[in-house]
Amino acid sequence: MADFDVIVIGSGMSGGWVAKEMCERGFKVCVIERGREIVPEKDFTDFQEPWEHEHLNWKSEQTKSEYPIQSEVYAFHNYTKQFWVKDNEHPYIVPEGQRYKWRRGHHTGGRSIMWGRQTYRFSEIDFEANKKDGHGVDWPVRYADIKPWYDHVERFAGISGSMEGLDIIPDGIFQKPHDLTCAEIDFKKQVESKFPGRKVIPGRVANLTEPTAEQIALGRGKCQARNHCFRGCSYGAYFSSTSATLPAAKRTGNLTMIHDLAVHELDYDPETKRVTGIKGVNTQTNEGVSITARTVFLNASTIPTAMILLNSKSDSMPNGLANSSGQVGRNLMDHIICGRASGRMPGNEDKHHYGRRPNGIYIPRFRNHTEEGNGFVRGFGFQGWAMRANWQGSSNTAGIGEAYKAANRKPGDWMFGLVGFAEILPNFENHVRLHETKTDKWGFPVPILDAKHRDNEIALVRQAAKDGQDMLRQAGCTDVSGADPETDIGTPPGEGIHEMGTARMGRDSKTSVLNKFNQSWDVPNLFVTDGAFMTSAGCQNPSITYMAFSARAADHAAKLMKAGEI
Amino acid sequence: MTDFMMLQRRDALKSLLALSAAGALAACVGEGKSEGSAKKLSASPKLSASEMALISAMAQTIIPKTDTAGAVEAGVPAVIQSLFTEWGDDNYRTYWRAGLDNLEQHFLKSGGQAFAKMTPSQQANLLGKYDAKAYGEAGFDDFYKSMKSTIATAYYMSEPGATEELAYEAVPGEWRGCVPLSEFPKTWAT
Repeated sequence: MADFDVIVIGSGMSGGWVAKEMCERGFKVCVIERGREIVPEKDFTDFQEPWEHEHLNWKSEQTKSEYPIQSEVYAFHNYTKQFWVKDNEHPYIVPEGQRYKWRRGHHTGGRSIMWGRQTYRFSEIDFEANKKDGHGVDWPVRYADIKPWYDHVERFAGISGSMEGLDIIPDGIFQKPHDLTCAEIDFKKQVESKFPGRKVIPGRVANLTEPTAEQIALGRGKCQARNHCFRGCSYGAYFSSTSATLPAAKRTGNLTMIHDLAVHELDYDPETKRVTGIKGVNTQTNEGVSITARTVFLNASTIPTAMILLNSKSDSMPNGLANSSGQVGRNLMDHIICGRASGRMPGNEDKHHYGRRPNGIYIPRFRNHTEEGNGFVRGFGFQGWAMRANWQGSSNTAGIGEAYKAANRKPGDWMFGLVGFAEILPNFENHVRLHETKTDKWGFPVPILDAKHRDNEIALVRQAAKDGQDMLRQAGCTDVSGADPETDIGTPPGEGIHEMGTARMGRDSKTSVLNKFNQSWDVPNLFVTDGAFMTSAGCQNPSITYMAFSARAADHAAKLMKAGEI
Repeated sequence: MTDFMMLQRRDALKSLLALSAAGALAACVGEGKSEGSAKKLSASPKLSASEMALISAMAQTIIPKTDTAGAVEAGVPAVIQSLFTEWGDDNYRTYWRAGLDNLEQHFLKSGGQAFAKMTPSQQANLLGKYDAKAYGEAGFDDFYKSMKSTIATAYYMSEPGATEELAYEAVPGEWRGCVPLSEFPKTWAT
């Protein structure tokens, strides 16, 4: 008799969903989190006022030396460093001459606490992309398979957005969208008339603007327009594991949460061809721990999920568990942040904005869709915003005394900014592998992150640099500047914080790790539903897709378990 | 906030912080630098009373008391002392100390006495000229610009700076994208 029906490794974006769905179906679930337990009253800093920030919220050299990689993240501040790993405790290796930025947090809810909350569905165009242009393998699903599950997760999570009828990012279950600012309304008119294939829409974001009875019952409330999301939200107004899925799992009485337990390997029984549980280490006491279950879900996030599989070697699986295809750890993808452009938007001097929107605008992909590519496949979308500059834009200029104060008190020009997110192709050579001898302080092999942008990625980055500035100019912006369309190489792999692809799903067990239900071809009671399953990356922020596939996989696993098949 | 806005904010912060790097030390030695600053500087991890007096006087001249608090009433000098003693490293401290000494020497020379001892109108006159030169001539005194930016940041993030001088809502409750300026005439503190 196993300790639990289901073990879920990882409590983040996808693991929280598996826990909720399995608990609600009556299974006893153990969620294993390698990080510490978050205590919202202590860890959330969303009520800290500007004048309470330590040292003007500037990062000290000391902080930067403790967090050399994490401290570069936009959401890393003195008041959020509790949500990011200390880099020296969590080493990784990047081959000479390459770059990889691995951003992560180890605690209840993982990166669902600090995520950007942008939420765009994959479309049929994304699910067909590999088959059409021959990169990677064909997705084993199409939009119609996943649409009901997008509906399911959006209804529960709560997404603010507008119905647009676009095929590239299908509409969903939306609460009311955030208004555009006056300058964004002008920009939308200009762009949509000058580029008929492009659309400018309010960002779609996992913040509650019209909470449902179900959300309120979980203790969640309406977004208060503070834009402090990545500090943790005491209103539970944005979706995270701690605000939504884990409380839903907990209220069933079927959830056991274990913190501070780093899973090192999965136990495998070659006779039954099943996993039987996990082995790990308590990160506080270094004590070894074993837990058994009928079914295991890997939701450790893309890179650690591959690491655990590769480390679970046995005589019958010498290349790592569930790796008969040799694809575990391979096809590591992300999104490249690129095409940064900014400028001043004239007009609307008599207008302003109220509140702090945790969101902006979105320009869905148009290249290789409504407009031609330019010697490349796939595309990029843009996020952006236009707001009036404040004292931060005016205070480091000439002037003193009353006149200086008066100038800083006046709202500044409308400033427009755009940034692109470009698709990375699945490529076998981009991968994570384990170092043969080096280990972390708990004895787990250190990963080598070996990935780089190739010709198609660089072509996308350059096109995004051109298109972003072009749109600002055509919309009437002045002082336009941005990434250089001739030389830009985009941000390093990892910087998009959208790692995916290291245990892809497919139609053939010889070329993929998972079947269409996120179930291992080799080990039927093993499921992977974090970003590792992604067969291609699209250019949309991927979390909502992880959620939808997690809920669908959990439903499938539950059916198999009830039927006694696993 | 979109990812982009946070990235922009990060960039702004980076450029500010770059000023504390060792490499930036050389950049502060501009034309405004007087001969007097060649003397040996204090190694104390705390700004002295005279350094604090200079900072307070300059901060209050840049952001004087009007119908709202000035820099001193808003506690700006204390924030700078805490950055200096608790936040900065040796490079940062040397940068500030050399920059302050340079300013002190400049005002001694041009005004005949310590800046802090001058009348408010003399302070405004001399600092106004210096400020215009610092922003008008590249490389004249980058430390001054960095210091002024620190003073402004400390002021506009202070409670009176944010809530009285500018507009601030801890909990706006809702987002309204396009409202009349006449209804919300002040810039948002954050």
